[in-house]
Amino acid sequence: MAQADTLLSLEEVVVTATRQERRLGNITIPVNLIQRRIIQQAGSLRLKDILQEQPGIQLTSNFGTGIQMQGLNPEHTLILLDGQPLIGRTSGVLDVSRIAVAGIKRIEIVKGPSSSLYGSEAMAGVINLITENPSLPLLEASLRYGVADPDQGWGVPFKNNSFQQTEATVDASYSIRKLKVKHNNNLLFADGVSFRPFSQVRVPRPIHRITHQTSIQQNLGNKAGLKILGRINQDRFQQEFSVSNNGMIIDSYGRELNNELNIQPTLFFRLSEKIRLHTRGYLTSYSGDQLLRFVQKPDSSYRDRFEQRLFRIEEQIDFKKENYTITAGVGYQVEQANSTRYDALANQKQNNVSYVFAQWELKGGDKWISILGARYDHHTLFSGAVTPKWSLRYKAKPSLSFTASVGQGFKAPDFRQLYLNFTNTVAGGYSVFGTQDAIRVINALNRLGQIAELKPDFTKLTTLSPEHATGINVSAQYTPTPAITWQVSIFRNDIQSLIDVRQVATRVDGSQLFSYLNVNRAFTQGVETSFQWQLQKKWSINAGYQLLLTGDKEEWERIKQGKEYIRESNGSSRVMNKKDYIGLPNRSKQQAQLKIKYEDKESRYVYMRLLYRSRWTVANSNGNGVHDVQDEYAKGFMQLHITGGLPLSNTIALQAGIDNVLNYQDVFYLPNVAGRTVFVTLRATLESKQSKK
Amino acid sequence: MRAILVSAAVLLSITSCEKDKLPKTVDQRAYAVETIGKITTVKNLPADTIIGTNSIGQPVGAGRYSFFSLETGQWISNADSNSTKWDLAFAGTVVRINNATSGPGAGGAFVFNGTFESLSSISADSVFRLDNHPVAYAIPRGSGRAWYTYDGPTNLLTPIPGRTLVIRTATGKFAKVEMLNYYRGGQTPSATAADSVKTRDQRFLHFRYTYQGNGTTQF
Repeated sequence: MAQADTLLSLEEVVVTATRQERRLGNITIPVNLIQRRIIQQAGSLRLKDILQEQPGIQLTSNFGTGIQMQGLNPEHTLILLDGQPLIGRTSGVLDVSRIAVAGIKRIEIVKGPSSSLYGSEAMAGVINLITENPSLPLLEASLRYGVADPDQGWGVPFKNNSFQQTEATVDASYSIRKLKVKHNNNLLFADGVSFRPFSQVRVPRPIHRITHQTSIQQNLGNKAGLKILGRINQDRFQQEFSVSNNGMIIDSYGRELNNELNIQPTLFFRLSEKIRLHTRGYLTSYSGDQLLRFVQKPDSSYRDRFEQRLFRIEEQIDFKKENYTITAGVGYQVEQANSTRYDALANQKQNNVSYVFAQWELKGGDKWISILGARYDHHTLFSGAVTPKWSLRYKAKPSLSFTASVGQGFKAPDFRQLYLNFTNTVAGGYSVFGTQDAIRVINALNRLGQIAELKPDFTKLTTLSPEHATGINVSAQYTPTPAITWQVSIFRNDIQSLIDVRQVATRVDGSQLFSYLNVNRAFTQGVETSFQWQLQKKWSINAGYQLLLTGDKEEWERIKQGKEYIRESNGSSRVMNKKDYIGLPNRSKQQAQLKIKYEDKESRYVYMRLLYRSRWTVANSNGNGVHDVQDEYAKGFMQLHITGGLPLSNTIALQAGIDNVLNYQDVFYLPNVAGRTVFVTLRATLESKQSKK
Repeated sequence: MRAILVSAAVLLSITSCEKDKLPKTVDQRAYAVETIGKITTVKNLPADTIIGTNSIGQPVGAGRYSFFSLETGQWISNADSNSTKWDLAFAGTVVRINNATSGPGAGGAFVFNGTFESLSSISADSVFRLDNHPVAYAIPRGSGRAWYTYDGPTNLLTPIPGRTLVIRTATGKFAKVEMLNYYRGGQTPSATAADSVKTRDQRFLHFRYTYQGNGTTQF
């Protein structure tokens, strides 16, 4: 049993790679699969906790916790809940610490462009959270208490100045005649850590998070079924803090409220042995509301609100013959947003998308599988996007197989890039305008004599088009014995028309005006390898490594032409060499993890994870336009997490663990990493006899 | 004041000559001028350093320029501002040349894209610009325009490598200047340094130059 959970058997079923259930051994692109058992044994509460332990994924800390996959920014990874996209991104970042993993059965990670199936945002890859289906009657409750003290190293339980977190989960499955129901409730009360940039002060930031999830499943005769998933997530942050500004102490009060709702009805219909139909509806909304007030000046409140809604209807047909399968679909989507950071909160922005996709899967005997697919997305706001993909699997031997894929990904410009109308009066006084407003607003300012200078980029402002990436992934998987799996992948992504924020004008008072342009071309490439070894049934070892190289193609051209400069240690300038170049900022060249687990037949276990990430650039400190070896770096680090589990009886299990044993902290560049946390979890499970295998 | 500065420079040259005998006690944070061969390096020249904050909390200086002669390698008294004794005047990020709205001299300047060493002669078709205080300067102000970039989020100012200021002096001779650093001690503070440090240590200029006294444009 332990083996199946730790080592990914080729018999495991995944859906993300093809939009249908497929065995891991039969798909043409590598899928990283994380089972619920591993999520629980790692003691993970949030999606961020478990993702940071995966090969090839790095956490970022701007605008919440984002994830970087194959060296691409967080806005380029699509995050799905049962195949439908989660919304509510800030500056392109979907905060993965927002998402509770209780109620998630497994997580599937597909790297490389996947827009041919999933449309916009699937440029770097897709993370699909698969919820638990209603099962046999079950009642499960767990309570976790953890404590940390970032200053002292070890927290003292129930003490005011310790950072404490309490999580409670209640799961219930039951049936009403043929209707199967599953509820999952998750509550988190935590003292978060400060997110104030350039401050050493860690301020307790109390978080209250409530997630409720309900799945309802009903068979409609032999040939059809209905499933409805509902999920509600509510966050509340509240904090009081003091800022020292040039000797003046300003007391501030801040609070943040986020609400998220997902409703997914799916109707399944088996027309014949060969033809299946899925009709999917999707309704989701996200709202964020932030308030900041200075205590001494109660009328000084600053409020920021953002609301987003997405409605989607989709029809998918699967046609299966002996040696080929055809999957095709058509869908329509409406996306709306309102924000105080656009021209006015009341002015709703809308983008409608209609799309079609098709995929042809062909088997060539036992050795070959080929999948050819494409998708077309038509947006009302900007040009459409065609994204093809072709992937192959070749089984050279039962123990050795190769996969290769080439595909396109795209990301449509988001509402922020189109409509943002934001002026920061505090930090140097700058403004950012979405492209829809930039020309109009700046021309109006110019007529009033408010513009000192129009930059050359101003003349390039035009309608934004989607960003595109072409990705190639080649991998080999070697399984000499059932206990050992070794996988090596190489990848390369070429990104075109990347949207970047550029200064387009300067006001008379010297403040800068920015907007968005499709300008950059970049590449990311690297090697990812993982090794899994099951030793004597009780031990399992899992090691992963990623080497990542990135670059901006324009910068690379300028360096090759000798047009970029760098400084000698004595301060004088010289022409930059190719080896001085670091590439895109905020990326670690190397990343590795080693996970060792011991688990016996009685489900007693110890699970240790050692994570490494090499240094990454955080600031350009030598004045040239590119990131190089002389710039400022965040220090590379090691993190160690240990958990242990002990079943106390048939119904009660105890878990204890220490997260971040080495107490790695970087308050500036990874403020979302908490200090050393000791926790204890108690879980009680009552399940009906039949569900035991 | 000048006597102190000269003695500081003398002390510096002594320590560099007799470094085998004397322990190294060079104050990296003091104003100093050092000439090796054709290149003169100026360190920690105060350029209207921060004295306080204005009504909206922004750090400000006293509005006082530091005048410098490339010919003599000396910091010139403010009393001589209306003379041709100085070639460059510094206040924060403003660099003024001795001509037009800035002084009675024959000065001029432009920005050359390329390293200090690679500029061996000034091409004949070069156009020297003049100051038009306070609207525009021969050496333009603004992030990324002439010799520096300013990053808002980190609140740090950094000279751009590979930018050389080509100067026509008050008396019509030529010089090339490379700005090296903007902070006291010649080290840009870390991005994570406190704002108080970034404010306190800024506007201490470090630059190096070669002055051609024979009137030609060859360096």
